[in-house]
Amino acid sequence: MVKRKKVLMFGWEFPPEISGGLGVATFGLCQALAHDADVKMIIPKNVPNFKIENIELVGLNSIKPEDIEVLFGTEPTPKIPILPSSFKQTIGPYSSVLASEFLDQTYYEYYNAAIQPFEIEELYGGDVISKVIEFEKIAVAYCVKDDFDILHAHDWLTFLPAMRLKMITGKPLVIHIHSTEFDRTGVESNNWVFELERRAMEMADCIIPVSNYTGDICVQKYGANPQKIKTVHNGIIPITHKVDAKRRKGNLVVYFGRVTQQKGPDYFVEAAKKVLDYLPDTKFVMAGAGDLLETMILKTASIGIGDKFYFTNFLNKDKLNELLSKADLYCMPSKSEPFGLSALEAAQFGIPVIISHTSGVAEVLPGAIKVDFDDVDKLAAYMIAALNFSGLRQAVVNADNTSLSQITWEKCAGEVMQVYESLFNATNNIC
Amino acid sequence: MPSICFYFQVHQPYRLKEYSYFDIGSDHQYFDDLKNLEVLKKVSEKCYLPTNKLMLELIKEHKGKFKISYSISGIALEQFEAWQPDVLQSFKDLAATGCVEFIAETYYHSLAYIFSKEEFKKQVEQHRNLIKKHFNQEPKVFRNTELQYNNELAKFIEDLGYDAIICEGVDRLLNGRSPNFIYKAPNAHKIKSLLKNYKLSDDIAFRFSDQNWSEFPLSAETYATWVHSVAGMGETINLFMDYETFGEHQWEHSGIFEFLRYMPTYVLAHKDFSFKTVSETAAAYPVRDVYDAHHLTSWADTERDLSAWLGNPMQDEAIAKIYQLEQQVYASGDVTFIDSWKKMLTSDHFYYMCTKYWADGDVHKYFSPYDSPYDAYIYFMNAMSDLSIQLKSIEKPLNKGVGKETAPKKTVVKAVPAKKVAGKKAVAKSK
Repeated sequence: MVKRKKVLMFGWEFPPEISGGLGVATFGLCQALAHDADVKMIIPKNVPNFKIENIELVGLNSIKPEDIEVLFGTEPTPKIPILPSSFKQTIGPYSSVLASEFLDQTYYEYYNAAIQPFEIEELYGGDVISKVIEFEKIAVAYCVKDDFDILHAHDWLTFLPAMRLKMITGKPLVIHIHSTEFDRTGVESNNWVFELERRAMEMADCIIPVSNYTGDICVQKYGANPQKIKTVHNGIIPITHKVDAKRRKGNLVVYFGRVTQQKGPDYFVEAAKKVLDYLPDTKFVMAGAGDLLETMILKTASIGIGDKFYFTNFLNKDKLNELLSKADLYCMPSKSEPFGLSALEAAQFGIPVIISHTSGVAEVLPGAIKVDFDDVDKLAAYMIAALNFSGLRQAVVNADNTSLSQITWEKCAGEVMQVYESLFNATNNIC
Repeated sequence: MPSICFYFQVHQPYRLKEYSYFDIGSDHQYFDDLKNLEVLKKVSEKCYLPTNKLMLELIKEHKGKFKISYSISGIALEQFEAWQPDVLQSFKDLAATGCVEFIAETYYHSLAYIFSKEEFKKQVEQHRNLIKKHFNQEPKVFRNTELQYNNELAKFIEDLGYDAIICEGVDRLLNGRSPNFIYKAPNAHKIKSLLKNYKLSDDIAFRFSDQNWSEFPLSAETYATWVHSVAGMGETINLFMDYETFGEHQWEHSGIFEFLRYMPTYVLAHKDFSFKTVSETAAAYPVRDVYDAHHLTSWADTERDLSAWLGNPMQDEAIAKIYQLEQQVYASGDVTFIDSWKKMLTSDHFYYMCTKYWADGDVHKYFSPYDSPYDAYIYFMNAMSDLSIQLKSIEKPLNKGVGKETAPKKTVVKAVPAKKVAGKKAVAKSK
């Protein structure tokens, strides 16, 4: 019998807080992977009583001050010092700082500061880069003596410790790309995060983007080696119950996700204005937080449709489910959407979804209505058609249901296992 | 003494333009004249003109021994008359040879038989008049749109006075028997059913240029030997196909025209073989067995059923709603409304809405002018909404019981824009 492989995985948002976010994807994958491999998941903070079956979950916030002292009191020795020649120049004593090579001066001091017990309140708030660096320092010290076969890191937030551990141990590194800085900030992204992503793609033995769309970005924007790329589309956990919704009169169109330029909220608002000219008995919900939220509120007010819009800010899963069960239509006019799990979550509620061509989820929902994100007229026309014509609604929902039945985390985990196997085979051939 | 019965289908729909929801109420031109003209021109150049020329040469060359039959939809003839009179003339030249027979069908290439027997009869009559006008022939054989056929239809057509009806030779109904004999429906008295030999038909229509086909490239000589092998095991080989096979589906460089040029010579080289038109075929052979079709069959896709036009929620809704307008449309007495409505009954509109092959819908996609089945449905529904609104606007005076004859007509004059499409003129002329 083949020995179960030990996967050392790095995640950020755990337990999952944000619908459709990185945490949901990481959670779904590692839960399914646990059937085939031993997964140890390192995360910034864990909450009491949050456990995943068969997964060893370590929140760095639970490491006590005395343990930190022990960890950093001894010089860790690499277990397997054989490294691919391309990385030789970067091998050095542990005290050399990988991140500092391309670290902004602002963080340099921070990087060299004394290690403190890891405390993190807001995962995405405040100075995220500082948190990312501190996460690396403690995670590496904590894991370096561990016995593992492969490193698997999810998004830039967790790349640093995985890269560092690859340099020390020579174990294969898999990076999972749920989104890129290019998606988040647009064309002009050339910052520290972008550079970190680029370095990680360079160093990784395999890059797993969540869609071919994202894989293309890795190649075209980051210069990643196309041969290292193996797309694995996300899965989704089937919903077990539907909220008993009270139907209201009129139509309800939903946008949910971060209210940032990446997600195209302005196109949603502009299309809504056109829809309202023809279907005045329609309400729109923008569920989510983000830097454009206030702008959107002002925009709806200034074009005179404020009374037709509800801004809910961030919604937890229960509230979101309640909203989706009342909704008639979901729209995701994202400029650049690596995957778009939220579209699958909406489709699970049996409502038609309109998504942009520039989204990964379009690859797994062939029956969804697709539109160019900035084609406001077409988006509005599709919204109207989906609200007016039951034949279209039913056809989209039927097609999406067929697709949904094949979109599982088990399938996703199976494909990730194949990636692991191919890396082990490659390593064995070398030895 | 077996004979070959060639029947070619000639049809071009009036494609709807990308009629937006925002056009409803202001734009009453539903059809994409530019696109329809462009397609007609392209297919005329690639197929109709060169193939008709070749057919005429073959008929002359073989001195009456090469005979063929056509079914040309009324709206295809309308478009030829308006935009490509040389094509119409070339069909008239073929008719004048006495070796070409024209088949009856629904004027609008519609599914009227299923949805309105009244409308069906009107369209068959309208088509019959047009054939008589252009070709001075009274059709004796009928074919329903896309070879849709069942026992009930055979009887219905018999009652209209036809000698024969054309249908697909469906394996599950033939149940091991050969399509190369004359059959009849169990409930029919004298009408004969001509069954398509789909194997030998599709060798030309679908497989001819398929490089993965074991018989590729197919020569006229080889094909003639296949035809000859039927000797002693059949009386008529019914080769039914779209006329666009020549030069459009099978491109010129595939050698399809050379194949057609030499095939009759090779077939006639066997002294027992001859070519017959559809009514000659029906007259020449007795009924050999019963062909029992309870459910409607067709010549489309592998299913040979109606699932290319009906069955998904969009198709079902669109077709049900367009036929619901029948009474109102005729009650309006307005030629423009009647003409638009009838053009919307054409089966192609529902074919474009087919979602059977999300994954591999190549055939449907190839024939669709739209980006997706959703678009096809939306444009149709929008145009139908406009027609419906126009009909309602002239209905009101009627309901009030004011001068039933004059009141609506006044409104009609206002509702009909001054400039008209060529198609409408053609209808007026044909009456």
